Amino acid sequence: MKNKGWKLSILILLILLAVWAWNKYYAKIDSEAILAHSVLKDKKFTSKVQEIKADNLSAYFLEEHSNPIISVSFLFRNAGSAYEPEEKMGLIAILENMLTNGTEKYDAISFKDISEEYGIHIGFSASDDNFSGSLQMPSEYKDKAVELFTQVLYSPRFEAKYMDLTKAQLQHIIKRGKEKISVVLGNAFAETIFGDHPYGRPYIGTLETVEAVSAEDLREFMHDYFTSSNIIIGIAGDLTADEAQDLIKQMFGGLASEFNAKPLEKVELHTSGAQHNVPQTFAQAMTHFVTVGTTRKSEDFYPLYLANYIFGGSGLNSRISQVVREENGLTYGIYTTLSLKDAVQTLGGGYSATAENFGKARELLLSEWQKMADKGVTAQELQQAKQALISSHNLRFASIGGISDMLLAMQEYDLGLDFLDKRNDYIRDVTLQQVNAAARKYFKNVPDFVNVGVQETSEKEKD
Amino acid sequence: MNKFILLALFIFGMCQAADAETFKADEFMLDNGLRVVVVENHKAPLVKQMLWYQVGAVDEFRGRGGSAHLLEHILFRGTKKVSGKEFNRIMEQNGAVSNAFTGYNVTAYHQFADVSRLEVLMALEADRMQNLKISEDDFEAERKIVFQERKQVVENNPASPFGERLRQMLWGTSPYGQPITGLPEDIMALKFDETLDFYHKYYAPNNAILVLSGDIDSATARKLTEKYYGKLEKRPVEREQPEVQTEHFEQTLKMQLPKITAPKISITYLLPDHQNLVGSIYDYMVLAEFLGDGETSELYRELVLKRKTALGVSASYNYISRANTTFGISMTPDASVEFSPEKSVEDLQAALKKGMNNLTAERLEQIKRKMLADLVFTNDNPETAAYWIGYMLSLGFSLDEVQNYADRINNVTLEGVKNAFAAVEKASKVVGILLPSDEQDGGQNEE
Repeated sequence: MKNKGWKLSILILLILLAVWAWNKYYAKIDSEAILAHSVLKDKKFTSKVQEIKADNLSAYFLEEHSNPIISVSFLFRNAGSAYEPEEKMGLIAILENMLTNGTEKYDAISFKDISEEYGIHIGFSASDDNFSGSLQMPSEYKDKAVELFTQVLYSPRFEAKYMDLTKAQLQHIIKRGKEKISVVLGNAFAETIFGDHPYGRPYIGTLETVEAVSAEDLREFMHDYFTSSNIIIGIAGDLTADEAQDLIKQMFGGLASEFNAKPLEKVELHTSGAQHNVPQTFAQAMTHFVTVGTTRKSEDFYPLYLANYIFGGSGLNSRISQVVREENGLTYGIYTTLSLKDAVQTLGGGYSATAENFGKARELLLSEWQKMADKGVTAQELQQAKQALISSHNLRFASIGGISDMLLAMQEYDLGLDFLDKRNDYIRDVTLQQVNAAARKYFKNVPDFVNVGVQETSEKEKD
Repeated sequence: MNKFILLALFIFGMCQAADAETFKADEFMLDNGLRVVVVENHKAPLVKQMLWYQVGAVDEFRGRGGSAHLLEHILFRGTKKVSGKEFNRIMEQNGAVSNAFTGYNVTAYHQFADVSRLEVLMALEADRMQNLKISEDDFEAERKIVFQERKQVVENNPASPFGERLRQMLWGTSPYGQPITGLPEDIMALKFDETLDFYHKYYAPNNAILVLSGDIDSATARKLTEKYYGKLEKRPVEREQPEVQTEHFEQTLKMQLPKITAPKISITYLLPDHQNLVGSIYDYMVLAEFLGDGETSELYRELVLKRKTALGVSASYNYISRANTTFGISMTPDASVEFSPEKSVEDLQAALKKGMNNLTAERLEQIKRKMLADLVFTNDNPETAAYWIGYMLSLGFSLDEVQNYADRINNVTLEGVKNAFAAVEKASKVVGILLPSDEQDGGQNEE
């Protein structure tokens, strides 16, 4: 009896020890169980997007007082670099720079000194389609910021010595573009895929076209393209709706309303697996590939968005990254993405790889591409993709500048004031059938490739 | 009399309160030596988790350059409890943006996610501190990936041989002279066992700093870090102080490289580490700001706007180092005007001296206002605090140093900045001149 009890306790002790050791060293981490017992629960980012109006202007606004800063993002539609006269390419790049190089009231140095001393940031940039700008400031210096901004928008100086300097700086950047494989590829890609369409123009422009731009050209462009009819505005941060209303009046109330620019001609894109090689040597070759995508408002958008996410849009976990990078170590990175330009929407991507890996990577990519067209995705993959996209929803609220930019995008793509409330449902409601229909429809097109640094003399360009 | 003292104390107290701290932050240490900093930012329900191991490229064995970096990649390849595929999948499912980086001094692993997912992130991060389990196949695949990474990120830049050679001349035999990625032959020479040894030697709670920044308070952070990181075992970690150059030197590196289209000039000065500097790091930060930060700086006004011999110029002070710190100036000469590299270097040095003559008490106050004007933006995205604090603490600074940044800048004196400049002038240096090669490559192959 006594002996038996002793043995039993040893046995129980051993079992307990084994369970403890297994738990400590080998038990799987059960992320769902951790989540279920987590002390930090799901929270909603509660601030609501409002629409504010003032005279003929309107803006999306999000009130957020946790930090005393304000961010205004704005964008003039149909006013990007594709709208520059062809013989004056670079006009917009010059304009972006010249707007903060002196105004009627302030010379360039005083303007920058004052901005920096108050922490006021005024900046401009442009895409092919749009000219955009931003104003960020500590809320206590709102009035000062508005004063500086209106000087920029309504009374820029465009002084000759700064025109000359800006042109020389841009010409230097254009020359140095030859050192950078991403610029060489970007220019070759634009020219090959878009040809004579304004999207086919080189980055910034050429040495000659930059030289040809005058201060008068900048004024004319501002007059024609900076109007209240083609502006959209997003405001976020430490101010009330009334203050936001005053702010847009003060900032943009002086714009004329007449806008006559014609939208760009649509690009007809057809791809068939062509390989276009730019014969240059770099340490590693680089490619962009592209085929037809879909518009933001099309019924296909969310299904294709999810298909792309699973295929090449989700970083290391994407199908192509798993095959080309994780399993075969052929590249440091490979991705696909949807692009939404006004005149063309694409499904495309890119990777870099040493010349000896380059062809093998493409083979694997194309075989996965074909598999996507033939078989689509699995229910499990779709479930995981949805979960990932929904659980990362709040990341868009990380910075106040990110928020005001998002408010712009909501207007640019006409997503509606309630987009943030509905977005997770838009994702959730997509069915497996829809995703696989989109996969069949869009992945049946084989992309065209533009490559730099590939030594494939045997492989001729296909038409 | 007593009343007077009380009043004085009260006023002093008010002044202290007026100079607010940079972040709402708290710090504590777990029993196993893991140092934790919590920064509160409640704008959105988000959190940044950053785990900073006190090990980097300077701790590698000679000829095994790139070990720290390859190991960083390998930490995404799985443990006894979670395979690498699962690790990345769980991160993604929970909406986390997950990544890592390797520096000379540190290796940091970080995620940015919804705060409701923090416990999952912690469970995974704590697990890979001690349970790494990978196969030789994983190791080989990851070796190939970091080789491709070096080609893409370093070698595809035609100026990279210049940058790497300059670093070597500046740092001599110090490990800071080697590239973080390792040279291609180093990467090929890395060994499975040695890389794992490196892991076992340095990855321990008492050799790491955890920063949590976002929608979380200190009490919750204590509870959760104790739960997930508290059980990790402490182990002795010895880290050697990296070797440094001590002899004075002045050298010039002049290099012509294919594909380079325009000349570039730089002067890099080697200064003592932050504990042995003349003055404090803030004197040098103010100096760099005054001389060469942006288009209102002295060098820009003199060389770009007035003399029109350069298209761009900048100065910077790099104190992210456990050994020497460096002060650097770089210039893009305007090669369309009459250009000689030697003359350019002389002009640059003359402009430095001339610029210093313009440093008045008034200008100094303006520079300080500029440096502090953006401080309010550091509380915007919670990631900013996590990086700043992680870097500073990893270099041996206290949390107070970050918290009192405004005071530190405000306390910089005219004399301090002038002394800092004198120290820079006397320091060892490498003058760098990068030029286009004589042969025109015209876009064709030039093997």
